[in-house]
Amino acid sequence: MQGGSSGIGYGLKYQARCISDVKADKDHTSFLTGTLSLKEENEVHLLRLSSGGSELLCEGLFSHPNEIWDLASCPFDQRIFSTVFSTGDSFGAAVWQIPEPYGQSNSSTLECVASLDAHVGKINCVLWCPSGKSDKLISMDEQNLVLWSLDSSKKSAEVLSKESAGMRHSLSGGAWNPHDLNSVAATSESSIQFWDLRTMKKVNSIERAHVRNVDYNLKREHILVSADDESGIHIWDLRKAKVPVQELPGHTHWTWAVRCNPEYEELILSVGTDSAVNLWFASASSEKKTSESPVEASRLRVNPLLNSYTDYEDSVYGLAWSSREPWIFASLSYDGRVVIESVKPFLPRR
Amino acid sequence: MATEAAPMDEKAKRMRDLLSSFYAPDPSISTSGSSISASFDNINSTSFDADQYMDLMIKKSNLEVLLQRHVQMAAEIKNLDTDLQMLVYENYNKFISATDTIKRMKSNIFGMEGNMDQLLQKIMSVQSRSDGVNTSLFEKREHIEKLHRTRNLLRKVQFIYDLPARLQKCIKSETYGDAVRFYIGAMPILKVYGDTSFQDCRRASEEAIEIIIKNLQTKLFSDSESIQARAEAAVLLKQLDVPVDSLKDKLLEKLEQSLDGLQIKPEEASLLAEQNDSSNDAESNEQHPAKIHEDAVRGFSEAMRAYREIFPDSEERLFKLARALTAMHFENMDLYIRKRVSAADFLRIFRIIWEDVVLMDEVLPEAELSDLSAEAAQVTVKKFVARTFSHLEQDISDTILKFDINQKEAVEEEVLKVVLEASKKAGLQGTTDIFQDFRQLLDENIGIFVKMKDLIIGWIQNGFQDFFRSLEAQFLVLSGKTSSSKEIEGGLVEGKSSDKIHAGLILVLAQLSVFVEQKVIPRVSEEIAASFSGGNSQAFENGPAFIPGELCRVFHAASEKLLQHYIDTRTQKISVLLRKRFKTPNWVKHKEPREVHMYVDMFLHELEEVGKEVKQVLPQGTFRKHKRTDSNGSNTTTSSRSNTLHNDKMTRSNSQRARSQLFETHLAKLFKQKVEIFTKVEFTQESVVTTTVKLCLKSLQEYVRLQTFNRSGFQQIQLDIQFLKAPLKETVEDEAAIDFLLDEVIVAASERCLDVIPLEPPILDKLIQAKLAKSKEHNNNNNTVSS
Repeated sequence: MQGGSSGIGYGLKYQARCISDVKADKDHTSFLTGTLSLKEENEVHLLRLSSGGSELLCEGLFSHPNEIWDLASCPFDQRIFSTVFSTGDSFGAAVWQIPEPYGQSNSSTLECVASLDAHVGKINCVLWCPSGKSDKLISMDEQNLVLWSLDSSKKSAEVLSKESAGMRHSLSGGAWNPHDLNSVAATSESSIQFWDLRTMKKVNSIERAHVRNVDYNLKREHILVSADDESGIHIWDLRKAKVPVQELPGHTHWTWAVRCNPEYEELILSVGTDSAVNLWFASASSEKKTSESPVEASRLRVNPLLNSYTDYEDSVYGLAWSSREPWIFASLSYDGRVVIESVKPFLPRR
Repeated sequence: MATEAAPMDEKAKRMRDLLSSFYAPDPSISTSGSSISASFDNINSTSFDADQYMDLMIKKSNLEVLLQRHVQMAAEIKNLDTDLQMLVYENYNKFISATDTIKRMKSNIFGMEGNMDQLLQKIMSVQSRSDGVNTSLFEKREHIEKLHRTRNLLRKVQFIYDLPARLQKCIKSETYGDAVRFYIGAMPILKVYGDTSFQDCRRASEEAIEIIIKNLQTKLFSDSESIQARAEAAVLLKQLDVPVDSLKDKLLEKLEQSLDGLQIKPEEASLLAEQNDSSNDAESNEQHPAKIHEDAVRGFSEAMRAYREIFPDSEERLFKLARALTAMHFENMDLYIRKRVSAADFLRIFRIIWEDVVLMDEVLPEAELSDLSAEAAQVTVKKFVARTFSHLEQDISDTILKFDINQKEAVEEEVLKVVLEASKKAGLQGTTDIFQDFRQLLDENIGIFVKMKDLIIGWIQNGFQDFFRSLEAQFLVLSGKTSSSKEIEGGLVEGKSSDKIHAGLILVLAQLSVFVEQKVIPRVSEEIAASFSGGNSQAFENGPAFIPGELCRVFHAASEKLLQHYIDTRTQKISVLLRKRFKTPNWVKHKEPREVHMYVDMFLHELEEVGKEVKQVLPQGTFRKHKRTDSNGSNTTTSSRSNTLHNDKMTRSNSQRARSQLFETHLAKLFKQKVEIFTKVEFTQESVVTTTVKLCLKSLQEYVRLQTFNRSGFQQIQLDIQFLKAPLKETVEDEAAIDFLLDEVIVAASERCLDVIPLEPPILDKLIQAKLAKSKEHNNNNNTVSS
């Protein structure tokens, strides 16, 4: 578990929180990241892993009007992405397009495709429909869930439906179910809520306080991973959501984000405020072990922590698997350092 | 023959040859022996040619030889002549005597025929006479035979007429055997003629037999009779065609009913055990229950012995009965040990049962009672061992949960300490008691225990292994860490214990785990090595018995887990506090700070509570100012060396005062040593408190980072942190880390501030002093109220 410096680093100018895999870029392994600076001019960096995989190149640098709290790349157009930004006292969300030809000019301005301006409170995140074709978007603030239809050619976004979760549940984030496109999981103060987009109604919930992040397992239906502030990582089977299927210890301090690998269903990455990225192996068989006594199960269980990358100077908030090369992930610590690592040595033998 | 032939003189030989040639029709055979040298010169040869011989002679020999030959030849011829004469004479003699004999025979046979005729006549007359005698005696003989038969019949009739009397006599003399024999002898006749000629007779004898049967039955049922007698009675009854089976059934049923009385009922068992004890002490001959029971069983086995001899065909049923009794015994035993039972009581009951089994086994060795009971005993003892362990576990967890801790008590009355001590004692005492109990088991010299010794040792070792494992699980469940799955499965844990356990108890459990790891397990393994070693060779090839090393590891892990859990629950509480603090106000529109915010008080109060709990339970550690090692793998250092980019930016925009200040802090950090934040928690008061504080401050920093502040908001944070500095440093081991973290919070706040202008130090000071004064006053007030 040595914090080996095998990763490829890249420094952003300012502090940053979010990084996203550019899924639509089929030819390169690229990531988008945006800075978080109250007072300086914020930037969006398009990073590309060189073909040899040894270098991380800045493919484009675009200025962004406000500090970026959330960033998501469009799954079908590599030039489009969404951000959630803050002007200090108010929040906004927008969909941007990288100008063409990008990468030529050093600091070209981003084209605003649409402004998702149906919110008043603090916006948490923008989710792209995971199907990869649909032009649907969800934006979430603390009280509301808004479903958008984006028309990138007309440069407009239209509110399809909007639903308030109620004052008491302050939503903090979410994930769109890749197996059931009508279902979205949203984290709130006291629970994980599941929304049906057709009716815009809450259909189910897992009572769990202070969940910071959730992610669906792309390979295994019904499996959801959640990260808590205090009690680490929980793996849920949505069909029997009373008790987690498995618990992972998480981080020494808060576990900020979790991501399931898009290809290897057992691999889970988590980042935490203890300045570490942990790679977990959540074996599929543990699902069946629930009937055994806890003593037995804990005895049988091998250490699920495959590796801990600790070569960070500050809390790590950003995390993204590459969908093109699923053994590669990018992590982003608060001090603006992007680190690309490969988990190849830990891949399960097939 | 050849050897004898050699000495035979020439003469004799030739004689014989000649004779044989004379008698033998085939000359070749007879002469085979002597005519070997058959040639011309052999006179004896058949092909002898005298002329040739002469010619040869003349040619060959001179005169003298010829003369000699002549003389010799003449002598030989003479000899031959005499020989022949002799032969003829002898043969003639014989012939004459033969003719004489024939002549005599002829004369003797003459006249024999007449004698023969005479003889025939005489024999004929003898025969006719004998026939005459026969016919004349025939009638008489038949008569005699008839008379004889009649006499036999009469004798039988006589016997039958006498039968009733005879039977009566037998009844009187109690010789039932004879009576039955007589009666059975008379049966065929009685059957045939019973309805006619011998009606009275039959009735009388039947009456008598009735009496006999009755007598026999009473005899059979009477316990006073000897078994032999009863067996005979049974046999006789059977001979009399009395339905014995129903009798047998009746008897066996009675026996079965008596089984109930023999049961050792669970509720009586303790009585049995106790009274046995007391009467032993008093050495009195009172009829205590154990004695009564023993007598009862003895009676039962005697009865079985009797029935077995009486009804050899009832063995199966008796086996069944005996087995049922044994099984019942062990079942009751099983019920009995469901309650808490000391080993001594257990053994006493067991001994009684074993005695019963031995008694029955003597009577019915074929019932394989000892095997059956050995099996049952194994099960029972195993259960007993298992129960003992579960009782101990229950004891320990009861001790822990006994104290109804609420917040105040925990802090003020050192309840945690009491709980810890009590449960420590419960653990140690419990294991000691268990060892005592088990030693009793091993010392027991009932046959079956001797046989089971190895097994018992195995069970005990295994029992300890399982006990510690489940104790660990129990700890975790109690602490609320692993309750969820169990609740779903069996609902074993009541909501109360798993839902909301006092955080202090988790700490107690953690410390208790350490205690188990360091004290109890070594002691148990010592004890096991001392008196329970061995025995696991055959019985436990697959499952390992007691492995102290593994258990120590388990408990070590558990203690760390529990300690971590304690810290987690504590920090969680504070975290909620902080979350509320940072979520509620609008930091961008914060008003100027007027006083230290009260969440700081709550924070400190929580820490104080942690400190108090920790002080009660954990030992004091050796004081260390800085700790830069011992970081466990997954934790890491958090120092902030600003990267070059950052610095560039800083230098570029160095216009503002706040900026420069920020830059300074960054620079300062750059030169500061890396400070470890997440170090491994140790089982000391300081370590736990420090870790808690560190985690909380880190959370604080993270909360700050999520907000955006205006100038006043930043100043408020600055003020709060400044106030926290002094009391935190007092409580905490690692001052450098705390300093660093507090600074980090301020840095984070300044980074997230739109307009960084710190409060002037004098104002800061003034506000802090005001707060201190206020809290002092508050304390005084409290004190006056309480006193």
